[in-house]
Amino acid sequence: MVFPRIDAYSALKSPIHSFDPRAKIISFSILIFSFAFLNDLKAAAFALGFSLFLVLLSRLPLSFVLDRIKVPLVFFISILVIMAFTVEGAELFNLFGLSVSSEGVLLGTLIVLRALAALFLLLLMLGTCRFEAVLKALYMLKVPGVLVQMLMFSYRYIFVFIEEFLSMKNAMESKGFQLRGKSSYSLSILGNAVGVLLVKSYERGDRVYKAMISKGYTGNPKLFIKFNMKKSDYVLASLLISLAFCFHLYPVIL
Amino acid sequence: MKKRAISVESLNYAYPRNKKALENINIEVFEGEKVAIIGPNGAGKTTLFLHLNGTIKSPQKNVKIFGKSIGDMEIGARIREVGIVFADSDDQLFMPTVYDDIAFGPTNMGLSKEEVDKRVSYAIEKVGLKGLENRVPHHLSCGQKKKVVLATVIAMRPKILVLDEPTANLDPKSRADLIKIINELNRKEGVTIIIAMHDVNVLAELADRVYVLNRKIVANGSPREIFSDFTLLKANNLDAPDVFKLFKILSCLGYACENLPLSFDEAVNEVLNTIEREGIISLRASEQTHSAIKEIMNNYSGVWTEGYGKGN
Repeated sequence: MVFPRIDAYSALKSPIHSFDPRAKIISFSILIFSFAFLNDLKAAAFALGFSLFLVLLSRLPLSFVLDRIKVPLVFFISILVIMAFTVEGAELFNLFGLSVSSEGVLLGTLIVLRALAALFLLLLMLGTCRFEAVLKALYMLKVPGVLVQMLMFSYRYIFVFIEEFLSMKNAMESKGFQLRGKSSYSLSILGNAVGVLLVKSYERGDRVYKAMISKGYTGNPKLFIKFNMKKSDYVLASLLISLAFCFHLYPVIL
Repeated sequence: MKKRAISVESLNYAYPRNKKALENINIEVFEGEKVAIIGPNGAGKTTLFLHLNGTIKSPQKNVKIFGKSIGDMEIGARIREVGIVFADSDDQLFMPTVYDDIAFGPTNMGLSKEEVDKRVSYAIEKVGLKGLENRVPHHLSCGQKKKVVLATVIAMRPKILVLDEPTANLDPKSRADLIKIINELNRKEGVTIIIAMHDVNVLAELADRVYVLNRKIVANGSPREIFSDFTLLKANNLDAPDVFKLFKILSCLGYACENLPLSFDEAVNEVLNTIEREGIISLRASEQTHSAIKEIMNNYSGVWTEGYGKGN
Protein backbone atom coordinates (compact mmCIF):
# COMPACT_ATOMS: atom_id res chain seq x y z
CA MET A 1 0.00 0.00 0.00
CA VAL A 2 1.42 3.37 -1.01
CA PHE A 3 0.40 6.28 1.20
CA PRO A 4 0.73 9.99 0.46
CA ARG A 5 3.49 10.71 2.93
CA ILE A 6 4.64 14.22 3.72
CA ASP A 7 8.17 12.92 4.25
CA ALA A 8 8.31 10.83 1.07
CA TYR A 9 11.38 12.74 -0.13
CA SER A 10 13.14 13.11 3.20
CA ALA A 11 16.04 10.94 2.04
CA LEU A 12 17.25 13.43 -0.61
CA LYS A 13 20.49 15.31 -0.08
CA SER A 14 20.42 19.11 -0.04
CA PRO A 15 21.40 21.98 2.26
CA ILE A 16 17.82 22.09 3.52
CA HIS A 17 17.77 18.34 4.15
CA SER A 18 20.96 18.39 6.17
CA PHE A 19 19.79 21.36 8.25
CA ASP A 20 19.33 20.29 11.87
CA PRO A 21 15.58 19.69 12.50
CA ARG A 22 15.48 21.87 15.61
CA ALA A 23 17.24 24.78 13.94
CA LYS A 24 15.03 24.26 10.89
CA ILE A 25 11.83 24.42 12.91
CA ILE A 26 12.89 27.55 14.80
CA SER A 27 14.26 29.52 11.87
CA PHE A 28 11.49 28.48 9.46
CA SER A 29 8.80 29.31 12.02
CA ILE A 30 10.26 32.76 12.54
CA LEU A 31 10.47 33.22 8.80
CA ILE A 32 6.86 32.09 8.37
CA PHE A 33 5.65 34.58 10.98
CA SER A 34 7.74 37.29 9.40
CA PHE A 35 6.21 36.62 5.99
CA ALA A 36 2.71 36.42 7.43
CA PHE A 37 2.96 39.97 8.77
CA LEU A 38 4.31 41.62 5.64
CA ASN A 39 2.22 44.61 4.54
CA ASP A 40 3.97 45.55 1.35
CA LEU A 41 3.12 43.88 -1.94
CA LYS A 42 6.69 44.07 -3.26
CA ALA A 43 8.13 42.63 -0.07
CA ALA A 44 5.56 39.82 -0.19
CA ALA A 45 6.46 39.06 -3.80
CA PHE A 46 10.10 38.97 -2.82
CA ALA A 47 9.26 36.68 0.12
CA LEU A 48 7.48 34.30 -2.23
CA GLY A 49 10.45 34.38 -4.55
CA PHE A 50 12.76 33.62 -1.66
CA SER A 51 10.75 30.63 -0.46
CA LEU A 52 10.57 29.35 -4.04
CA PHE A 53 14.35 29.65 -4.17
CA LEU A 54 14.57 27.54 -1.00
CA VAL A 55 12.24 24.96 -2.56
CA LEU A 56 14.52 24.75 -5.59
CA LEU A 57 17.50 24.46 -3.28
CA SER A 58 15.88 21.54 -1.48
CA ARG A 59 15.52 19.55 -4.75
CA LEU A 60 12.06 18.37 -3.80
CA PRO A 61 10.40 17.13 -7.02
CA LEU A 62 8.12 19.77 -8.51
CA SER A 63 5.26 17.28 -8.90
CA PHE A 64 5.39 16.56 -5.17
CA VAL A 65 5.36 20.26 -4.29
CA LEU A 66 2.49 21.05 -6.67
CA ASP A 67 0.52 18.07 -5.43
CA ARG A 68 0.86 19.28 -1.86
CA ILE A 69 0.07 22.90 -2.69
CA LYS A 70 -2.95 22.52 -4.96
CA VAL A 71 -5.63 22.05 -2.33
CA PRO A 72 -4.68 25.07 -0.18
CA LEU A 73 -4.29 27.06 -3.39
CA VAL A 74 -8.01 26.67 -4.05
CA PHE A 75 -8.68 28.31 -0.68
CA PHE A 76 -6.26 31.13 -1.39
CA ILE A 77 -7.80 31.87 -4.79
CA SER A 78 -11.27 31.95 -3.26
CA ILE A 79 -10.00 34.47 -0.70
CA LEU A 80 -8.67 36.60 -3.55
CA VAL A 81 -12.08 36.52 -5.28
CA ILE A 82 -13.95 37.33 -2.10
CA MET A 83 -11.59 40.20 -1.27
CA ALA A 84 -11.89 41.64 -4.77
CA PHE A 85 -15.65 41.89 -4.46
CA THR A 86 -16.05 42.88 -0.84
CA VAL A 87 -13.33 45.42 0.00
CA GLU A 88 -14.55 48.99 -0.48
CA GLY A 89 -12.49 51.25 -2.73
CA ALA A 90 -11.94 52.63 -6.22
CA GLU A 91 -13.83 50.60 -8.77
CA LEU A 92 -11.58 48.67 -11.13
CA PHE A 93 -14.34 47.24 -13.30
CA ASN A 94 -17.90 46.12 -12.99
CA LEU A 95 -19.06 42.52 -13.31
CA PHE A 96 -22.85 42.11 -13.68
CA GLY A 97 -23.45 44.94 -11.29
CA LEU A 98 -20.86 43.80 -8.78
CA SER A 99 -17.94 46.17 -8.50
CA VAL A 100 -14.39 44.91 -8.20
CA SER A 101 -12.22 47.32 -6.23
CA SER A 102 -8.51 47.80 -6.87
CA GLU A 103 -7.88 47.87 -3.12
CA GLY A 104 -9.59 44.53 -2.81
CA VAL A 105 -7.51 42.99 -5.58
CA LEU A 106 -4.32 44.35 -4.04
CA LEU A 107 -5.21 43.16 -0.56
CA GLY A 108 -6.23 39.76 -1.93
CA THR A 109 -2.99 39.43 -3.87
CA LEU A 110 -1.01 40.36 -0.77
CA ILE A 111 -2.76 37.69 1.25
CA VAL A 112 -2.25 35.06 -1.46
CA LEU A 113 1.45 35.91 -1.83
CA ARG A 114 2.06 35.82 1.92
CA ALA A 115 0.14 32.59 2.36
CA LEU A 116 1.91 30.89 -0.54
CA ALA A 117 5.31 31.92 0.76
CA ALA A 118 4.47 30.60 4.21
CA LEU A 119 3.04 27.41 2.75
CA PHE A 120 6.20 26.67 0.77
CA LEU A 121 8.25 27.15 3.91
CA LEU A 122 5.97 24.87 5.90
CA LEU A 123 6.25 22.23 3.20
CA LEU A 124 10.02 22.52 3.34
CA MET A 125 10.05 22.32 7.10
CA LEU A 126 8.00 19.10 7.14
CA GLY A 127 9.05 17.59 3.83
CA THR A 128 12.80 17.64 4.16
CA CYS A 129 13.25 15.41 7.17
CA ARG A 130 11.56 12.30 8.47
CA PHE A 131 8.40 13.13 10.36
CA GLU A 132 9.61 11.52 13.57
CA ALA A 133 12.62 13.87 13.44
CA VAL A 134 10.16 16.78 13.48
CA LEU A 135 8.37 15.22 16.45
CA LYS A 136 11.60 14.71 18.34
CA ALA A 137 12.73 18.22 17.53
CA LEU A 138 9.43 19.57 18.89
CA TYR A 139 9.90 17.43 22.00
CA MET A 140 13.41 18.80 22.48
CA LEU A 141 12.18 22.34 21.94
CA LYS A 142 9.94 21.81 24.98
CA VAL A 143 6.67 21.92 23.09
CA PRO A 144 4.06 20.63 25.61
CA GLY A 145 4.16 16.83 25.76
CA VAL A 146 0.43 16.49 25.19
CA LEU A 147 0.72 18.25 21.84
CA VAL A 148 3.73 16.20 20.73
CA GLN A 149 1.99 12.98 21.75
CA MET A 150 -1.18 13.98 19.91
CA LEU A 151 0.85 14.64 16.77
CA MET A 152 2.78 11.46 17.25
CA PHE A 153 -0.28 9.25 17.60
CA SER A 154 -2.10 10.99 14.76
CA TYR A 155 0.82 10.35 12.48
CA ARG A 156 1.26 6.77 13.64
CA TYR A 157 -2.40 5.78 13.34
CA ILE A 158 -3.54 7.74 10.32
CA PHE A 159 -2.02 5.04 8.13
CA VAL A 160 -3.70 2.32 10.12
CA PHE A 161 -7.03 4.09 9.64
CA ILE A 162 -6.47 4.53 5.92
CA GLU A 163 -5.70 0.83 5.69
CA GLU A 164 -8.77 -0.08 7.73
CA PHE A 165 -10.99 2.12 5.62
CA LEU A 166 -9.56 0.77 2.37
CA SER A 167 -10.05 -2.81 3.45
CA MET A 168 -13.61 -1.95 4.43
CA LYS A 169 -14.10 -0.32 1.05
CA ASN A 170 -12.74 -3.42 -0.65
CA ALA A 171 -15.09 -5.60 1.35
CA MET A 172 -18.02 -3.36 0.39
CA GLU A 173 -17.09 -3.30 -3.27
CA SER A 174 -16.55 -7.02 -3.42
CA LYS A 175 -20.19 -7.28 -2.41
CA GLY A 176 -21.26 -5.04 -5.24
CA PHE A 177 -21.33 -1.62 -3.56
CA GLN A 178 -20.50 1.32 -5.77
CA LEU A 179 -19.46 4.65 -4.37
CA ARG A 180 -20.26 6.53 -7.56
CA GLY A 181 -24.01 6.56 -7.21
CA LYS A 182 -25.08 9.73 -5.43
CA SER A 183 -28.22 8.17 -4.07
CA SER A 184 -29.03 8.70 -0.43
CA TYR A 185 -28.75 4.93 -0.05
CA SER A 186 -25.08 4.76 -0.99
CA LEU A 187 -24.38 7.85 1.12
CA SER A 188 -26.00 6.24 4.12
CA ILE A 189 -23.89 3.12 3.59
CA LEU A 190 -20.81 5.30 3.45
CA GLY A 191 -21.99 7.01 6.62
CA ASN A 192 -22.26 3.64 8.31
CA ALA A 193 -18.74 2.77 7.24
CA VAL A 194 -17.39 6.01 8.66
CA GLY A 195 -19.33 5.35 11.85
CA VAL A 196 -17.83 1.89 12.15
CA LEU A 197 -14.40 3.42 11.63
CA LEU A 198 -15.11 5.85 14.45
CA VAL A 199 -16.13 3.08 16.83
CA LYS A 200 -13.13 1.02 15.77
CA SER A 201 -10.78 3.92 16.40
CA TYR A 202 -12.32 4.50 19.81
CA GLU A 203 -11.80 0.88 20.73
CA ARG A 204 -8.31 0.87 19.29
CA GLY A 205 -7.49 3.91 21.38
CA ASP A 206 -8.56 1.96 24.42
CA ARG A 207 -6.37 -1.00 23.48
CA VAL A 208 -3.38 1.20 22.70
CA TYR A 209 -3.76 2.85 26.08
CA LYS A 210 -3.83 -0.55 27.79
CA ALA A 211 -0.71 -1.60 25.89
CA MET A 212 0.99 1.62 27.01
CA ILE A 213 -0.03 1.11 30.62
CA SER A 214 1.34 -2.40 30.52
CA LYS A 215 4.70 -0.95 29.55
CA GLY A 216 4.68 1.51 32.40
CA TYR A 217 3.30 4.63 30.71
CA THR A 218 2.68 7.42 33.21
CA GLY A 219 1.93 10.36 30.93
CA ASN A 220 5.36 11.65 29.98
CA PRO A 221 7.20 9.41 27.58
CA LYS A 222 10.88 10.20 27.37
CA LEU A 223 12.51 10.19 23.97
CA PHE A 224 16.20 9.67 23.43
CA ILE A 225 17.46 11.75 20.58
CA LYS A 226 20.65 11.90 18.64
CA PHE A 227 20.80 15.36 17.06
CA ASN A 228 23.91 17.45 17.02
CA MET A 229 24.13 20.99 15.76
CA LYS A 230 27.01 21.66 13.40
CA LYS A 231 28.60 25.02 12.68
CA SER A 232 26.79 25.21 9.35
CA ASP A 233 23.45 24.80 11.18
CA TYR A 234 24.18 27.84 13.35
CA VAL A 235 25.22 29.87 10.31
CA LEU A 236 22.17 28.95 8.24
CA ALA A 237 19.79 29.46 11.15
CA SER A 238 21.16 32.91 12.02
CA LEU A 239 21.10 33.83 8.33
CA LEU A 240 17.44 32.88 7.95
CA ILE A 241 16.41 34.53 11.21
CA SER A 242 18.18 37.79 10.41
CA LEU A 243 16.55 37.69 6.99
CA ALA A 244 13.18 37.33 8.70
CA PHE A 245 13.89 40.53 10.64
CA CYS A 246 15.27 42.32 7.58
CA PHE A 247 11.95 41.89 5.81
CA HIS A 248 10.38 44.09 8.49
CA LEU A 249 13.28 46.41 9.22
CA TYR A 250 14.20 47.58 5.74
CA PRO A 251 11.36 50.15 5.42
CA VAL A 252 12.60 51.66 8.68
CA ILE A 253 16.22 51.78 7.60
CA LEU A 254 15.70 52.97 4.02
CA MET B 1 9.66 -26.96 45.32
CA LYS B 2 9.47 -24.30 42.67
CA LYS B 3 8.30 -20.81 43.43
CA ARG B 4 4.75 -19.83 42.63
CA ALA B 5 4.98 -17.26 39.84
CA ILE B 6 1.30 -16.50 39.44
CA SER B 7 -1.55 -17.34 41.70
CA VAL B 8 -5.07 -16.25 41.00
CA GLU B 9 -7.68 -17.11 43.58
CA SER B 10 -11.42 -16.96 42.96
CA LEU B 11 -11.19 -14.00 40.60
CA ASN B 12 -14.44 -12.52 39.31
CA TYR B 13 -14.84 -9.79 36.76
CA ALA B 14 -17.74 -8.25 34.88
CA TYR B 15 -17.57 -5.54 32.27
CA PRO B 16 -19.96 -2.67 32.93
CA ARG B 17 -23.54 -3.53 31.93
CA ASN B 18 -22.46 -6.98 30.78
CA LYS B 19 -22.74 -10.43 32.16
CA LYS B 20 -19.76 -11.84 33.93
CA ALA B 21 -16.58 -12.08 31.88
CA LEU B 22 -14.67 -14.11 34.43
CA GLU B 23 -16.14 -16.30 37.12
CA ASN B 24 -14.30 -17.82 40.03
CA ILE B 25 -10.96 -18.19 38.28
CA ASN B 26 -8.26 -20.15 40.07
CA ILE B 27 -4.88 -20.41 38.42
CA GLU B 28 -1.47 -21.39 39.69
CA VAL B 29 1.62 -21.14 37.56
CA PHE B 30 5.09 -22.04 38.81
CA GLU B 31 8.32 -20.35 37.90
CA GLY B 32 9.75 -21.51 34.57
CA GLU B 33 6.57 -23.23 33.47
CA LYS B 34 4.99 -22.91 30.05
CA VAL B 35 1.25 -22.76 30.36
CA ALA B 36 -1.31 -22.43 27.61
CA ILE B 37 -4.78 -21.05 28.10
CA ILE B 38 -7.22 -22.23 25.48
CA GLY B 39 -10.89 -21.59 25.08
CA PRO B 40 -13.50 -20.42 22.60
CA ASN B 41 -13.64 -16.88 21.26
CA GLY B 42 -14.87 -14.48 23.89
CA ALA B 43 -13.98 -16.80 26.73
CA GLY B 44 -12.28 -14.03 28.67
CA LYS B 45 -8.64 -14.81 27.90
CA THR B 46 -7.68 -11.21 27.18
CA THR B 47 -9.59 -9.98 30.23
CA LEU B 48 -7.74 -12.47 32.39
CA PHE B 49 -4.42 -11.31 30.93
CA LEU B 50 -5.21 -7.68 31.70
CA HIS B 51 -5.49 -8.74 35.34
CA LEU B 52 -2.12 -10.46 35.31
CA ASN B 53 -0.14 -7.23 34.93
CA GLY B 54 -2.52 -5.06 36.87
CA THR B 55 -3.97 -3.11 33.93
CA ILE B 56 -7.28 -4.17 35.39
CA LYS B 57 -7.01 -4.23 39.17
CA SER B 58 -9.02 -6.71 41.15
CA PRO B 59 -10.31 -5.06 44.33
CA GLN B 60 -9.99 -8.32 46.24
CA LYS B 61 -6.20 -8.39 45.71
CA ASN B 62 -6.47 -11.99 44.60
CA VAL B 63 -4.03 -11.80 41.68
CA LYS B 64 -0.59 -12.42 43.11
CA ILE B 65 2.74 -12.38 41.30
CA PHE B 66 5.50 -14.09 43.25
CA GLY B 67 3.37 -13.80 46.34
CA LYS B 68 2.66 -10.08 46.04
CA SER B 69 -0.64 -8.56 45.00
CA ILE B 70 -0.08 -7.02 41.56
CA GLY B 71 -2.59 -4.24 42.16
CA ASP B 72 -0.55 -2.89 45.06
CA MET B 73 2.73 -2.72 43.17
CA GLU B 74 4.25 0.43 41.73
CA ILE B 75 3.89 0.61 37.96
CA GLY B 76 7.67 0.32 37.52
CA ALA B 77 7.78 -2.86 39.59
CA ARG B 78 4.77 -4.32 37.83
CA ILE B 79 6.31 -4.17 34.37
CA ARG B 80 9.48 -5.79 35.68
CA GLU B 81 7.43 -8.80 36.69
CA VAL B 82 4.93 -9.27 33.86
CA GLY B 83 5.19 -8.34 30.20
CA ILE B 84 2.19 -8.77 27.92
CA VAL B 85 2.12 -9.21 24.17
CA PHE B 86 -1.42 -8.41 23.01
CA ALA B 87 -3.08 -9.82 19.93
CA ASP B 88 -3.04 -6.77 17.65
CA SER B 89 0.46 -5.54 16.82
CA ASP B 90 -0.68 -2.12 15.63
CA ASP B 91 -2.09 -1.41 19.08
CA GLN B 92 1.30 -1.94 20.64
CA LEU B 93 3.60 -0.12 18.26
CA PHE B 94 2.68 3.47 18.91
CA MET B 95 5.99 5.29 18.81
CA PRO B 96 7.60 6.96 15.78
CA THR B 97 10.31 4.33 15.18
CA VAL B 98 11.07 0.73 16.10
CA TYR B 99 13.85 1.93 18.40
CA ASP B 100 11.51 4.27 20.28
CA ASP B 101 8.95 1.51 20.66
CA ILE B 102 11.44 -0.94 22.13
CA ALA B 103 12.96 1.79 24.32
CA PHE B 104 9.51 2.82 25.61
CA GLY B 105 9.24 0.22 28.41
CA PRO B 106 12.86 0.40 29.64
CA THR B 107 12.67 4.22 29.66
CA ASN B 108 9.54 4.07 31.78
CA MET B 109 11.45 1.84 34.18
CA GLY B 110 13.75 4.80 34.74
CA LEU B 111 16.87 3.25 33.22
CA SER B 112 19.78 5.31 31.94
CA LYS B 113 20.29 6.01 28.24
CA GLU B 114 23.19 3.51 28.05
CA GLU B 115 21.19 0.77 29.72
CA VAL B 116 18.19 1.47 27.47
CA ASP B 117 20.43 1.25 24.40
CA LYS B 118 21.79 -2.06 25.66
CA ARG B 119 18.30 -3.41 26.25
CA VAL B 120 17.12 -2.34 22.81
CA SER B 121 19.99 -4.02 21.01
CA TYR B 122 19.61 -7.12 23.19
CA ALA B 123 15.89 -7.35 22.45
CA ILE B 124 16.16 -6.67 18.74
CA GLU B 125 18.92 -9.26 18.44
CA LYS B 126 16.78 -11.82 20.27
CA VAL B 127 13.97 -11.50 17.73
CA GLY B 128 16.43 -11.43 14.82
CA LEU B 129 15.58 -8.01 13.43
CA LYS B 130 18.90 -6.25 13.82
CA GLY B 131 19.19 -3.26 11.50
CA LEU B 132 15.51 -2.32 11.60
CA GLU B 133 15.89 0.10 14.55
CA ASN B 134 15.16 3.22 12.55
CA ARG B 135 12.26 1.83 10.55
CA VAL B 136 8.79 3.26 10.94
CA PRO B 137 6.35 0.68 12.37
CA HIS B 138 3.75 1.05 9.61
CA HIS B 139 6.32 0.00 7.02
CA LEU B 140 6.88 -3.39 8.61
CA SER B 141 5.27 -6.65 7.54
CA CYS B 142 2.84 -8.43 9.84
CA GLY B 143 5.46 -10.93 10.94
CA GLN B 144 8.05 -8.24 11.58
CA LYS B 145 5.55 -6.21 13.59
CA LYS B 146 4.81 -9.21 15.79
CA LYS B 147 8.51 -9.74 16.41
CA VAL B 148 9.04 -6.07 17.23
CA VAL B 149 6.14 -6.25 19.69
CA LEU B 150 7.81 -9.22 21.32
CA ALA B 151 11.06 -7.23 21.44
CA THR B 152 9.32 -4.29 23.12
CA VAL B 153 8.34 -6.64 25.93
CA ILE B 154 11.61 -8.59 26.04
CA ALA B 155 13.46 -5.29 26.50
CA MET B 156 11.75 -4.90 29.88
CA ARG B 157 13.20 -8.30 30.88
CA PRO B 158 10.03 -9.47 32.61
CA LYS B 159 10.11 -12.66 34.66
CA ILE B 160 6.73 -13.66 33.28
CA LEU B 161 5.80 -13.31 29.64
CA VAL B 162 2.13 -13.35 28.70
CA LEU B 163 1.24 -13.77 25.05
CA ASP B 164 -2.21 -13.36 23.55
CA GLU B 165 -2.57 -15.25 20.27
CA PRO B 166 1.08 -14.79 19.26
CA THR B 167 0.87 -16.99 16.17
CA ALA B 168 -2.37 -15.70 14.66
CA ASN B 169 -2.17 -14.31 11.11
CA LEU B 170 1.48 -15.21 10.64
CA ASP B 171 3.08 -17.05 7.76
CA PRO B 172 4.55 -20.47 8.65
CA LYS B 173 8.14 -19.21 8.77
CA SER B 174 7.34 -16.29 11.07
CA ARG B 175 5.26 -18.59 13.21
CA ALA B 176 8.11 -21.07 13.56
CA ASP B 177 10.53 -18.20 14.32
CA LEU B 178 8.27 -16.87 17.02
CA ILE B 179 7.81 -20.26 18.66
CA LYS B 180 11.58 -20.71 18.68
CA ILE B 181 12.16 -17.31 20.29
CA ILE B 182 9.56 -17.98 22.98
CA ASN B 183 10.93 -21.42 23.77
CA GLU B 184 14.47 -20.05 23.94
CA LEU B 185 13.41 -17.37 26.41
CA ASN B 186 11.87 -20.06 28.55
CA ARG B 187 14.76 -22.51 28.35
CA LYS B 188 17.76 -20.18 28.52
CA GLU B 189 16.50 -17.37 30.71
CA GLY B 190 13.89 -19.18 32.74
CA VAL B 191 11.07 -16.85 31.74
CA THR B 192 7.68 -18.15 32.77
CA ILE B 193 5.40 -18.28 29.74
CA ILE B 194 1.65 -17.94 29.62
CA ILE B 195 0.11 -18.16 26.22
CA ALA B 196 -3.37 -18.00 24.77
CA MET B 197 -3.86 -19.66 21.44
CA HIS B 198 -6.29 -21.38 19.11
CA ASP B 199 -3.67 -23.15 17.04
CA VAL B 200 -3.80 -26.59 18.70
CA ASN B 201 -1.37 -28.07 16.19
CA VAL B 202 1.56 -26.13 17.63
CA LEU B 203 0.29 -25.94 21.19
CA ALA B 204 2.27 -28.93 22.39
CA GLU B 205 5.50 -27.24 21.30
CA LEU B 206 4.68 -24.23 23.45
CA ALA B 207 3.06 -25.56 26.59
CA ASP B 208 3.65 -28.14 29.30
CA ARG B 209 0.29 -27.54 30.88
CA VAL B 210 -3.07 -26.34 29.62
CA TYR B 211 -5.94 -24.50 31.21
CA VAL B 212 -9.27 -24.53 29.41
CA LEU B 213 -11.03 -21.24 30.04
CA ASN B 214 -14.64 -20.52 29.23
CA ARG B 215 -15.52 -17.74 31.64
CA LYS B 216 -14.62 -20.29 34.31
CA ILE B 217 -11.64 -22.58 34.41
CA VAL B 218 -13.19 -25.68 32.90
CA ALA B 219 -10.18 -27.98 33.00
CA ASN B 220 -6.50 -28.10 33.79
CA GLY B 221 -3.96 -30.70 32.77
CA SER B 222 -1.22 -31.78 30.42
CA PRO B 223 -1.91 -31.25 26.70
CA ARG B 224 -2.33 -35.00 26.29
CA GLU B 225 -4.91 -35.21 29.06
CA ILE B 226 -6.86 -32.27 27.67
CA PHE B 227 -6.84 -33.48 24.07
CA SER B 228 -7.91 -36.96 25.10
CA ASP B 229 -11.10 -35.59 26.63
CA PHE B 230 -13.25 -35.09 23.54
CA THR B 231 -16.40 -34.14 25.42
CA LEU B 232 -14.49 -31.28 27.02
CA LEU B 233 -13.13 -30.16 23.64
CA LYS B 234 -16.53 -30.31 21.98
CA ALA B 235 -18.24 -28.38 24.75
CA ASN B 236 -15.73 -25.55 24.38
CA ASN B 237 -15.46 -25.27 20.57
CA LEU B 238 -11.99 -26.76 20.67
CA ASP B 239 -10.21 -29.42 18.69
CA ALA B 240 -7.31 -31.81 19.10
CA PRO B 241 -4.15 -31.61 16.95
CA ASP B 242 -4.45 -33.33 13.58
CA VAL B 243 -1.51 -35.61 14.32
CA PHE B 244 -3.10 -36.70 17.57
CA LYS B 245 -6.34 -37.58 15.81
CA LEU B 246 -4.53 -39.44 13.06
CA PHE B 247 -2.67 -41.60 15.57
CA LYS B 248 -5.93 -42.33 17.35
CA ILE B 249 -7.18 -43.72 14.05
CA LEU B 250 -3.94 -45.64 13.54
CA SER B 251 -4.32 -47.24 16.93
CA CYS B 252 -7.70 -48.59 15.80
CA LEU B 253 -5.83 -50.22 12.93
CA GLY B 254 -3.55 -52.02 15.31
CA TYR B 255 -0.70 -49.54 15.69
CA ALA B 256 0.33 -49.79 19.31
CA CYS B 257 1.42 -46.48 20.73
CA GLU B 258 1.80 -45.66 24.36
CA ASN B 259 1.74 -41.89 24.19
CA LEU B 260 -0.13 -40.48 21.24
CA PRO B 261 2.01 -37.77 19.63
CA LEU B 262 0.74 -34.19 19.77
CA SER B 263 2.95 -32.55 17.17
CA PHE B 264 4.46 -33.44 13.84
CA ASP B 265 7.95 -33.83 15.33
CA GLU B 266 6.71 -36.17 18.00
CA ALA B 267 4.89 -38.19 15.38
CA VAL B 268 8.00 -38.58 13.25
CA ASN B 269 9.98 -39.71 16.29
CA GLU B 270 7.28 -42.15 17.27
CA VAL B 271 7.15 -43.77 13.82
CA LEU B 272 10.94 -43.96 13.52
CA ASN B 273 11.25 -45.51 16.98
CA THR B 274 8.66 -48.13 16.22
CA ILE B 275 10.32 -49.05 12.93
CA GLU B 276 13.67 -49.38 14.68
CA ARG B 277 12.26 -51.44 17.51
CA GLU B 278 10.10 -53.82 15.53
CA GLY B 279 11.45 -53.55 12.00
CA ILE B 280 7.97 -53.24 10.57
CA ILE B 281 4.78 -51.26 11.04
CA SER B 282 1.74 -53.31 10.26
CA LEU B 283 -1.78 -52.04 10.08
CA ARG B 284 -4.80 -54.29 9.81
CA ALA B 285 -8.53 -53.99 9.92
CA SER B 286 -10.75 -56.25 11.96
CA GLU B 287 -14.52 -56.40 12.33
CA GLN B 288 -14.65 -53.70 14.91
CA THR B 289 -12.24 -51.37 13.15
CA HIS B 290 -14.79 -49.43 11.15
CA SER B 291 -17.11 -48.78 14.01
CA ALA B 292 -14.13 -47.79 16.19
CA ILE B 293 -12.89 -45.34 13.59
CA LYS B 294 -16.36 -43.97 13.10
CA GLU B 295 -16.66 -43.39 16.81
CA ILE B 296 -13.38 -41.48 16.94
CA MET B 297 -14.35 -39.39 13.94
CA ASN B 298 -17.66 -38.68 15.63
CA ASN B 299 -16.05 -37.72 18.87
CA TYR B 300 -13.40 -35.44 17.44
CA SER B 301 -14.62 -33.89 14.25
CA GLY B 302 -18.31 -33.92 13.62
CA VAL B 303 -17.86 -32.26 10.26
CA TRP B 304 -16.19 -35.21 8.59
CA THR B 305 -18.32 -38.07 9.76
CA GLU B 306 -21.07 -37.77 7.19
CA GLY B 307 -18.65 -38.47 4.37
CA TYR B 308 -16.83 -41.23 6.13
CA GLY B 309 -17.49 -44.78 5.06
CA LYS B 310 -19.70 -43.94 2.08
CA GLY B 311 -17.22 -45.60 -0.23
CA ASN B 312 -17.55 -48.87 1.61
